[in-house]
Amino acid sequence: MTNDTTKKRKAILVTPENCIGCRACQVACKSWNQLDPIKTKNNGTYQNPPDLAGTAFNIIQFSEVPSQIDPVRWLFLSRRCMHCDDAGCMTICPSPGALFRTPEGAVAFDHKKCIGCKLCSSACPFDVPRYGADGKMSKCNLCADRIAADMTPSCVKTCPTGALKFGDRDELISAAQKEGFKTIYGEKDLGGLGTIYAFKDEPKLYGMLENPTIPTSVVFWHTYLKPLSLIGLGGVVAAAAIHYLAIGPHKEEEKEEEV
Amino acid sequence: MVEMIRKSSTDEIVNHLILAGSCILLMLTGFGFLFHVDAIGSVFGGFNTMKTVHNWLGIAFALSLLYSLHHYLIESLEYDADDLQWFKVAGGYLSHKVKVPPMGKYNPGQKLYYLAVVAFGFAIIISGIGLWFFQDNRTVMLLSHIIHNVSFVVLVIAVPVHMYLGTLANPGTLQIMVNGMMPLKDARKKHPKWIKAIGKM
Repeated sequence: MTNDTTKKRKAILVTPENCIGCRACQVACKSWNQLDPIKTKNNGTYQNPPDLAGTAFNIIQFSEVPSQIDPVRWLFLSRRCMHCDDAGCMTICPSPGALFRTPEGAVAFDHKKCIGCKLCSSACPFDVPRYGADGKMSKCNLCADRIAADMTPSCVKTCPTGALKFGDRDELISAAQKEGFKTIYGEKDLGGLGTIYAFKDEPKLYGMLENPTIPTSVVFWHTYLKPLSLIGLGGVVAAAAIHYLAIGPHKEEEKEEEV
Repeated sequence: MVEMIRKSSTDEIVNHLILAGSCILLMLTGFGFLFHVDAIGSVFGGFNTMKTVHNWLGIAFALSLLYSLHHYLIESLEYDADDLQWFKVAGGYLSHKVKVPPMGKYNPGQKLYYLAVVAFGFAIIISGIGLWFFQDNRTVMLLSHIIHNVSFVVLVIAVPVHMYLGTLANPGTLQIMVNGMMPLKDARKKHPKWIKAIGKM
């Protein structure tokens, strides 16, 4: 779905090879969005918290992927909502306004309108939506409040190495390509993602999905079943009206005479 | 005074009202969710409350459908040669000139309709339980979501057909739903095999 916001669509560009895994972005996100801390246990990795959570909108994913020349190689991947242009969560959400598109192209949410059905997390190709203690959806909203006031998202603001950049989506992509990054992950996927990644290695190495898609059943439901329910109901009403006028109701008296 | 005969017991009437009432409200709220109809949400004071109402109406619908089984299930599974002939003349609905074979208490259209409501009704109930209680299981959620919606499409087509046939298409039928009675004279013509079976022919 390309809309009129495409021109000024904003994005976060993640360049994982510049990331030093300091997790300042996690802290800045918690600070700005006033998210409660999570008590976690050491599970043998520096990745902490272990996963996205209702109070953790972004995390750095640590993967140890040794190579021939580099026996000790850590890959750091900053994860958050991808702000898909064709967003599965928005497609499946049954409550109007609970998930909405900001003018900058982010997928934001309204706690009050969320009904806590959790369908959004089933339809998300990236397993992003999480839920707060109130059972309502919470995730990264690209700091919609900050970018509306011409500031950068808090994670980008705090990143010390430039592994996170924020700006005009098209400009970020062309700049990254000029710098020699072969793969811009999310350039075209799902209508173009709002969180894009500049890779020199295979994105798979970092644990990225190869072909992110909205679940087929959700696409089928949206494309065929939804219209069919209205057409079906309308068809029955029309058919009943035609039957009533053209053939007419059951007449008991006439029958008796025939018999 | 026209001599009347009881076709539906009070038990059946009350249960059918619960089934019908919950079904219509579930469909209405379902359309509200499906097409983001703010006007429907507003009736319930917002979509949050509408979700609660939809879920609990589902429980009423489930109990009522379960209870209806002992009213109609056995009869809806029995078909004879007259029933086959009934299909050949389309129940007399496409022409008033054809001869409709003698029927029992319910015609095969009604019996098949009931079986469809049972099948898709339980499909929509079980998938509804999936959507309500298994929110953290992606596979269950996606499967339930598609089953819930396929069943919805079937029911949203089948139920209005039933409503039309039970009212406008067959004058006098509506009162059976309300007080359970129909004139014996009509019953002898419409349901001869049933009337014979109860010895009032």
